Amino acid sequence: METYSYVNIFETKGLEYLLLLSFLILFVFLVRYLSTPPHGH
Amino acid sequence: MTPSQSQSTSEVRRVVRFVLAELRPKGPLLTPFNLISVPVVLLGLGILAVRFVYGLGSVTNLSQTVPWGLWIGFDVVTGVAFAGGAYVLTFVVYVMGVEKYHPLVRATVLAGLLAYVFYSGALVLDLGRPWNVINPIIGNSFGYNSVLFQVAWSFLLYMLVEMVEFSPAVAEWLGLKRLRNVLRSITLGAVIIGTTLSTLHQAGLGALFLMAKPKIHPLWYTEFIPVLFTLSSVYAGLSMVIVEGTISHRVFSKQLDASKHHEFDDLMLGLGKGIAITMFVYYFFKALLFLHDRQFDLLASGWGAWYLVEVLGCVLVPCVMFIYAVRNRKVGLLRVAAVWALVGILLNRLNISVIAFNWQAPVRYYPSWQEIVVTLTVLFVEIWVFRWIVLRMPVMREPHELPRTASPVARASG
Repeated sequence: METYSYVNIFETKGLEYLLLLSFLILFVFLVRYLSTPPHGH
Repeated sequence: MTPSQSQSTSEVRRVVRFVLAELRPKGPLLTPFNLISVPVVLLGLGILAVRFVYGLGSVTNLSQTVPWGLWIGFDVVTGVAFAGGAYVLTFVVYVMGVEKYHPLVRATVLAGLLAYVFYSGALVLDLGRPWNVINPIIGNSFGYNSVLFQVAWSFLLYMLVEMVEFSPAVAEWLGLKRLRNVLRSITLGAVIIGTTLSTLHQAGLGALFLMAKPKIHPLWYTEFIPVLFTLSSVYAGLSMVIVEGTISHRVFSKQLDASKHHEFDDLMLGLGKGIAITMFVYYFFKALLFLHDRQFDLLASGWGAWYLVEVLGCVLVPCVMFIYAVRNRKVGLLRVAAVWALVGILLNRLNISVIAFNWQAPVRYYPSWQEIVVTLTVLFVEIWVFRWIVLRMPVMREPHELPRTASPVARASG
């Protein structure tokens, strides 16, 4: 029977993947934020 | 002599007479800028004379250990990044067709052209045997295996391309309408070639440092230096467009009508949006490389603190300032952010080429006062030439805004 193996994201590429994913999400929000005028304008 | 021959001869005479008339100074000579720049340039020319007679060692703090100093680190490596606005803006206007930025193109291309002429000219000052600068071009040992071979050819070809891009303004100045139309028809091709060459040599300047891995501090060394140099040249160039454009609009305000002043702020905010997005991408790329190389322990040192000043203080902070300024239409803040971003680029380029270069060497390099004066000389002469051209040619204004009484050549010839 296979046992559960703990993946340390600091030893694998996990940290880079997390950063990249957060970048992609933030990038979409940034472009949307900059493209819409603020309230009152 | 046939009638067409005599007509072209008289045309040439009129053009020569017009150019001679234009050589006369326009505007007051005793300005604060002239009072500062003239003594500095005279001193700089004297220092250069000493440099060419007695060699580099007589006026610089360069040595066999530190062969690259301020003249390479600031004039060439930083100056070329600052000139990146020309290739970005021409690509946006001519290839992507975003016409609203067209009023900024000529001033930006002119600034870029002069930057390349003067900064690559400054490269000659730094060569121990300056006459060898032509070797990669004429084939006296091309040096195919050197990154400098690619950089030299890209510099040369890009300068020619920028001359082509700016040449319609010269033709309009001289009143040569037919030539202007021919030159305008080849602008799009020149822009496409120019953009390709620019990305090549921006990356090439970064690639020069790839072979210096043992000399550059690990926080700054990465195999992605060429990509980082190209990416940062986009926002450096656009920030320079904002700073240079703001100064030009104050100094040469008589060349523009009032409506253009209002439009100018909108254009600056549009550029700010592009800069914010590019800086955001650049910042994340730096963070990704930092994580990838597992450099956490390096931060606990003076070099680590200096690295954070550059990346957090001079990339993230101006990026947030740009985002806030664009979103809330704060043009003043946008200008401050542009200056801040340029300081960040200056810091990054100097860190890689001078400060964090040979970081383990027992003797540190500091530029001599002569090196600083020569750098200012290059900068001031470039500004003189820029001012001379803007006061005469249709750079800030459209050609149809010129007085319609007669063509410039006809006016000069009376």
